[in-house]
Amino acid sequence: MASTTFRVFRYQPDSGDLESYHQDFNLEHEEKTTVLDALLRIQNEQDGTLAVRYSCRSAICGSCACKVNGKTVLACMTQVEEAKAESGSSTLQVDPIGNFAPIKDLVVDMTPFWDKFKAVKPFLIPDGPAPEKERLVPKAAMEKVAKESACILCAACYSECNSLAADPEFVGPAAFAWGYRFAADERDSQRKNRAKLYSGQHGIWDCTRCMFCNERCPKGVDPRDAIEKLGAIAFQEKVTKDKGARHAKAFLISMRTGGKLNEQLVGGYTDPVGGAFNAPLALRMLQKGKLPASPLTHKVKNRDQVTKLIKNVKETI
Amino acid sequence: MRAAIAAHEAGVDVALVTKLHPVRSHSGAAQGGINAALGNETEDNTDNHTFDTVKGADYIGDQDAIEILCERAPLEVYQLEHWGAVFSRQEDSGKIAQRPFGGAGFPRTCYAADLTGLVILHTLYTVCVKYNIPTYEEWFVTDLVTDDNGNAVGVVAYDMIHGKIETIGAKAVVMATGGAGRVYRPSTNAHASTGDAMSLALRKGVPLKDMEFMQFHPTTLAANGVLVTEGARGEGGYLLNKDGDRFMSKYAPNKLELASRDVVSRAEATEIQEGRGIDGCVLLDLRHLGRDRIMERLPQIRELAIAFAGTDPIEEPIPIRPGAHYHMGGVHVDNWGAAPHMPGLFAAGECSCVSVHGANRLGGNSLLEAVVFGARAGEASAAYAQDAPAPKVPGNAAQETQDRIEGLLAREDGPRQGEIRDELATVMQEKVGVFREDATLREAKAKVDELKQQFQGVVVDDKGKTFNTDLIHTIETGYLLDLADCMVTGAIARHESRGAHSRTDFPERDDENWMKHTLAYLDDGEIRLDYSPVTMTKYEPQVRSY
Repeated sequence: MASTTFRVFRYQPDSGDLESYHQDFNLEHEEKTTVLDALLRIQNEQDGTLAVRYSCRSAICGSCACKVNGKTVLACMTQVEEAKAESGSSTLQVDPIGNFAPIKDLVVDMTPFWDKFKAVKPFLIPDGPAPEKERLVPKAAMEKVAKESACILCAACYSECNSLAADPEFVGPAAFAWGYRFAADERDSQRKNRAKLYSGQHGIWDCTRCMFCNERCPKGVDPRDAIEKLGAIAFQEKVTKDKGARHAKAFLISMRTGGKLNEQLVGGYTDPVGGAFNAPLALRMLQKGKLPASPLTHKVKNRDQVTKLIKNVKETI
Repeated sequence: MRAAIAAHEAGVDVALVTKLHPVRSHSGAAQGGINAALGNETEDNTDNHTFDTVKGADYIGDQDAIEILCERAPLEVYQLEHWGAVFSRQEDSGKIAQRPFGGAGFPRTCYAADLTGLVILHTLYTVCVKYNIPTYEEWFVTDLVTDDNGNAVGVVAYDMIHGKIETIGAKAVVMATGGAGRVYRPSTNAHASTGDAMSLALRKGVPLKDMEFMQFHPTTLAANGVLVTEGARGEGGYLLNKDGDRFMSKYAPNKLELASRDVVSRAEATEIQEGRGIDGCVLLDLRHLGRDRIMERLPQIRELAIAFAGTDPIEEPIPIRPGAHYHMGGVHVDNWGAAPHMPGLFAAGECSCVSVHGANRLGGNSLLEAVVFGARAGEASAAYAQDAPAPKVPGNAAQETQDRIEGLLAREDGPRQGEIRDELATVMQEKVGVFREDATLREAKAKVDELKQQFQGVVVDDKGKTFNTDLIHTIETGYLLDLADCMVTGAIARHESRGAHSRTDFPERDDENWMKHTLAYLDDGEIRLDYSPVTMTKYEPQVRSY
C-alpha cells in the first residue's frame, strides 16, 4: 500500500464562490493505481462534488486529460507512484488542462477546441463519385496519415500550447494534425484549399515551435510535425503569400544564396512594408554593432553541401 | 451516428443527444476490426460469413437478420472507406487488408492497425460535422417520453453543463447507448457503459431480449480489465499456461487460439481453476511475431500492456484473463431496429438485440452490427417520422423528472452509489460469470434484490446543478441494477449451456426446449420472463466445435 496527498484544483460555481482554490485529499491506495482511479476513489469515498471527465480508462476516449504537477497527461494512463517518483514528492497537484475556462473543478469549457476542430473542415472531400468498391490506396500512402489518425482529441497538446497562451485565436495543434490528416490523404481533393485555409492569421505559421505538443501528446501524434508538414504542403501548392510562409522562404533563399542566414534579407523579404517601419531599430542595432554593415554578407565555404542538404530535406517531404 | 447520418440523408431533421462528446463513445475502444466478406485476401463470400456468425451465435441468432448483416457488410465497409476511414491496406493492390479472427473460416476482418473502432467512430463523427447535424453534447437522458397511445415521442435529458432538465420532442427516437459491461468487474467497458437505453425502454414496458448472454473476452489485462484485441491472436499470438503449454489444443484442436470467444474464455477459466494459471491469469505470447509486426499491427496493445501491466510484449508474454466484454442482449427490436412493443422507438448497436449475435458474438461483428443496423434504424426511423404526426409530448414530462431528481437530492442519509455499484459488480463476476449454476445464481439474485432495496435510500453528495457527476452515476447505478436483475433472472431460467451462458448443472445445449429468445419485462418492479421463437432460414443446428 502507498499513501498520497492529492492537491486538487477546485472551482465550485454552484456554491456562489467564484474563486478557485486547491484542496488536499489524502488517500491510502495500492502501489499500482492510476491518477484517474485515485480521483474516482476520492469522488466516491471523500467528496462526491468533485467533478472530472472520464470514460474508457484505457487511453482511447480522450476525456481525462489534466495536469499532474504541471504536466498535461491522461489521468487514466498515469501511475500515481511513477508521477511521485518523477517529482520527488508525496504530493501530487492535479489541475485542469490549460488554455481553457473552467466549468467546475477539473471540467473545462472545451467549446473553442471543438469549434477550431470543425473550422479545419475535418472530413474527406473527394473528387468525383465514389467507385463501387474501396478506393485503392498504396499501403505507404495510407500510412502517411496513420500517425495523425491516432489523435484522440484529448487536448493535451492544446493545454500545453504556447502559441495559444499568446493568441487564444490560434487554431492549435490537434486541429492542425487533423488538417494534415486530410490534406495529405491522397483521396482528398482539397490540398491547395486546405493549405490556404490553414495559413493566414492564427494559422500554421503562428506556431512558435516550442515542441511541447509533440512532447506531451499521449498518443505519439506529434502535432508539431504535422504543422511542419502542412507548411511543406503550402510550399508545394505555392500558397506562400502568408507572412509566415514568406519568412520561411526567406530562410531558404538566404541559405541557398549564401549558405547561411542573412537577417537583413530575411526581415526585408518576410515583411517589406512592416520591415520599413523597423528601419530606426535597424539603425540603432547597426550603431551597436548588432547587425553587419553590409547586407551582402560573405558566403560560407562548401556551399554545395548546404544545397545538397536542402535537396535531401525536400525529397523526404 | 450512423443512424443520424442515414436519417439526415433520408431528408428528415435529426439531432444527436449524448451524455459524452460523440468522439468519447466506447466504440472508439474497439481495436481489432470489422468483418466483411470482401474476399481481398482469399476467396470469401457472404454465405461463409453468415454461416460463421450463425454457428458462433450457437444457433440462437435470427438467421434472416444475420443474412442482412453479412450481405450489407461489404457495402458499409466501402461506405466508411469512401467517407475517409483510414483502413490498413494490402502491400501491392492498395485494397483494404483483412486479418484472421476468432470463429471465422477466412481472413475477413478489415482493420486500421489496432485502432479500428477509433477510426470508424471518428469517420462517422466527421460526416456528422460535414452534414452539420446538431449535437447535444453532455446531455444525459433520464427518461423516454411516450404519448397517450404509448408511442415514443422524445426524451427528457439533463444538460450537464448548464444544469437544466429539458424535454426534447421527436417523431421518432433511435437509441444507441452501447453496452452494460459495467454490471461486471473486471470489464473491458468504459465507465460510461451503463446500458442506459435498455433500462429506459424496460421501464416503459419494452421487453429486453436474451439478457443472460454476456460475453467474456479471453484476453483482458489483469490490472484493470483493459482489452487486448483478438487481433493479437489473429496475427498469430499464442495462449500459454504456467507450464508453457499451448493449452487450446485440448479445447479446440482445429482453430486453437482462434476458436470462438466463449470457447477460449472457458478454456482459460478451466486452466486457471485447475491450477495451471499464474496469479489467476494465463499468458498471451506475442514474442515470436517480432518487433516490426507488433509495432505495425498492434501498437496500441504494446502501449497498454506497458502502461497497465508493466510488460512489453516484444520482450515477454502478457498476463491475461477473461473479462466481461460484450452484451449480446438488449432492447428487443426487429430487423429494422424498430421496437415492436413501442411505435416510434428504434435501437441499434450493443444496446439493442436484433438478434444477430445470439448466444455469442464473433469478434469483428460488433462494429459491423453498429453500422449496418445503425444505418437501417436511421432509414426506418426517417421513414416512420415522415408519416408520423407532430409528437404530442405530455407537458409534465420534464417536471416529473425534475421532481424525482429533487427528491433524490434532498435525501441526506443513506448508502452511496459507489458502494452499491462495487457490490453489484463483484457479485455478478463471482456468481454470474463464465461458469454458472443454480445455487450461486440464486444467491446473486438475492443480492441484486437486496441492492435494489438499498438503492431506494441512496444518497447523492453533490447537491449542485452544474456537471453533477455524482447525480449521473447514481441514476446510472439504477440502470445497472435493472439490467443485472434481467441478466440473473434469465440465467436462472435457462436450463442449458449455449454460447456464453455456460451452466455446470446443465452442460449441454438443449435445442428442443431452449432454441428460443428470452424476453424480460418489468412488472411492478419484478422481472417477468417470456419467450419468442428464433427465425431459421437454411442453417440447421449442428454440434459446435472448433
